[in-house]
Amino acid sequence: MNALFLQPPMGGWVTFGNHIAINVNHAQLAANLREWYPEIEFSVLDTRALGLNEKQMIDTITEMSPDLIYMGDALQTTGVAAIHPRYKAAASLIKQVLPKTSVCVGGFFYGANSQKMLEETPEFDFIISGETERTMPELAKELSKDDPDIPSVKGLAYRDDGAVKLTGYRSLVENLDDLPLPAYDLFPMDKYIGFTRIKGYVETYHSRGCPNGCLFCVGWTDYDPRGDKDWTRYRIRSGKRVVDELELLEKKFGTKFVVMMDEDFNVRRERMEELIEEKGRRNVELPFFFMGRAPYHLRDKDLLEPLHKVGFVCGLFGMEATDEETLKKIQKDLTVDEVDEAIKLFKKHDIMSFVTWMIGFPDDDEMKIKSRFERLDAIDPDMAALQLMTPLPGIPMYEELQPYIVEHDLQKWDFQHAVIKTKHLSKEDVGRLAAWTNREFYSKPGRVQRILYYKGFHRFCHLIARSYVETAEAHARAAMQDEIFV
Amino acid sequence: MEREIHIRPMDLLMAMQCKPGDLATIALVSGQPQRVIMALEKLENPMRNFSAFGYTLWTGEYKGKRVTVGNGGFYAPDSALMTDLLCAAGVEYFLRLGSCGGMREDIQIGDYVLADSALRGDGVTTYYVEDEGFIPSADQGLSDQLAAVFNHEFHRGMVWTTDALLRETKAVVNNAIGKGAIAVDMVTSPLLTIAQMNNRKATAVLVVSDNLITGEMGFASIRVFDAEKRMVDCAFDVIEAIDV
Repeated sequence: MNALFLQPPMGGWVTFGNHIAINVNHAQLAANLREWYPEIEFSVLDTRALGLNEKQMIDTITEMSPDLIYMGDALQTTGVAAIHPRYKAAASLIKQVLPKTSVCVGGFFYGANSQKMLEETPEFDFIISGETERTMPELAKELSKDDPDIPSVKGLAYRDDGAVKLTGYRSLVENLDDLPLPAYDLFPMDKYIGFTRIKGYVETYHSRGCPNGCLFCVGWTDYDPRGDKDWTRYRIRSGKRVVDELELLEKKFGTKFVVMMDEDFNVRRERMEELIEEKGRRNVELPFFFMGRAPYHLRDKDLLEPLHKVGFVCGLFGMEATDEETLKKIQKDLTVDEVDEAIKLFKKHDIMSFVTWMIGFPDDDEMKIKSRFERLDAIDPDMAALQLMTPLPGIPMYEELQPYIVEHDLQKWDFQHAVIKTKHLSKEDVGRLAAWTNREFYSKPGRVQRILYYKGFHRFCHLIARSYVETAEAHARAAMQDEIFV
Repeated sequence: MEREIHIRPMDLLMAMQCKPGDLATIALVSGQPQRVIMALEKLENPMRNFSAFGYTLWTGEYKGKRVTVGNGGFYAPDSALMTDLLCAAGVEYFLRLGSCGGMREDIQIGDYVLADSALRGDGVTTYYVEDEGFIPSADQGLSDQLAAVFNHEFHRGMVWTTDALLRETKAVVNNAIGKGAIAVDMVTSPLLTIAQMNNRKATAVLVVSDNLITGEMGFASIRVFDAEKRMVDCAFDVIEAIDV
């Protein structure tokens, strides 16, 4: 058995600029495979990091001649569902030269849609249903046997005489500290770059799930719908273990900046306290950015100063909407006043604030969207990440949103393109308003100068801001003219 | 009306409780608020000492020198008003930080244009100067100081000032180019005209935000934002070099 973790050629979110990050899913699975089944040979090919085109990818893979190729991602930030057409195109090319090589995909988007996507995608042989951590290594192990028993591998969609079948439900990894640290040593760490300019950039993933479970969240699609709302079953690496990983990245790989891609990093106060204590005590200086929730920042407001001291330079939290009715409907479980207060606290500590917000709810009309924007503008976060409603199958709101879907080309299902209409707006209107609000936000006199030049912010924050300001025109082309970036 | 003139600049200053000496002899003026804010952040102990009609001026210190910063006007009429007021208040040196449209293909978004003189396409200066052929000039010495500290690429020449941004037609633009203009703005003519009439030293440096020849528009371009920031920094280097 010779397995290959393949990151095929693809772009990224337009707002991120030239952004080539390590695939955190591959790094974790490679570590698991190495620790649990050391007899299985495998390698890694990150074509984005190495700058390989499709032909170079195929030439390289042909030479490697792997038995199993795995593609997958854990993060929505790689491109939401727009990753699928890229994986499909890569698999199609692979099958032309290596028809006996098995292709497996998994992770984000596929986790909740394994059976359906396998039925629609003959280029794939397997799709992992739900969490990939144990299923992918077990599949590799099973395929290494002379007479593999595929139905015995839980959490897998596979073909049996042409019919797509689903094996049993795979339970979750309960304690992430039981997993080895990601196998960074197997990846071209010197090649990764964030937001066009940040060298030594690494994305990490230290927890799974989010206890809040907002109804629009695409995080649900990582998980097998047969589970018990698995997305909401929050599991973590301990603060100590997080620092182990940061220390490894800083000391061994020379990493300069980490963006923690956990959907909700600050759920547990004790973990944050442990992180602060360990990072300070061990003198791990690596600056970092994490995503969390505003109410937890308010709960832990006394921790912001020590967090900033140990390298917390930028934080993202979601707001999504500004009216009570919508917030209640999507079960966001926070108030705009809480977001406002969190932004003020961040300002006090010179931590760059980054707020996500959305347009494209079924009741949205131009006035509602512009009112939402006015409220966002008034509470004045440093950065705003606009997400156009992208109703992936597997999210709780899917049934409600499904009638509004007008764009079925998954290349555009990346949060940056309009794929739905609303009761009052066409897809084109939604795209135009997305471009309007993003340009308004990132050209506002005073804000632009603050995010680009304010000396209280870490220089990497300036570079992230630079990417968003610089890409505003390209963002408009994605939203209004359907230009593809992922 | 029996009086020669309704309001003189000093009348207006006094009406706003601004007395001679409140402002510094060096003024750094701009239209866009973000440039004013960036300039204001460089001053020590800034004091707001003029505020009227939506125009605000602050005076503080920069490396031991008193400097006034604020809104010197967005367009020709208000620029004439503010320049007149500043002259009356005792300002001797005017540094204008503005923006313009390039009128040569090689003038890129984010470049700088240093105005040597102005082609008067505005209406307000006709109230100040009867000679239609009058071409106001920047102070050569001050402009040279600006050029010396401005270690970024810049273009130097005549700036055409218009009142009608949306009437920059082929005919009027080519006419201005034919008279030697390399860029267009909406402020430089009254600034230089009124400063010159009052025997004050004035110069203007402008960030290129669009190009009339190529049609490129960069009003929200990061190249413009970066250039504005550098322009403010360089202006303070000039202030440091001015011998007052």
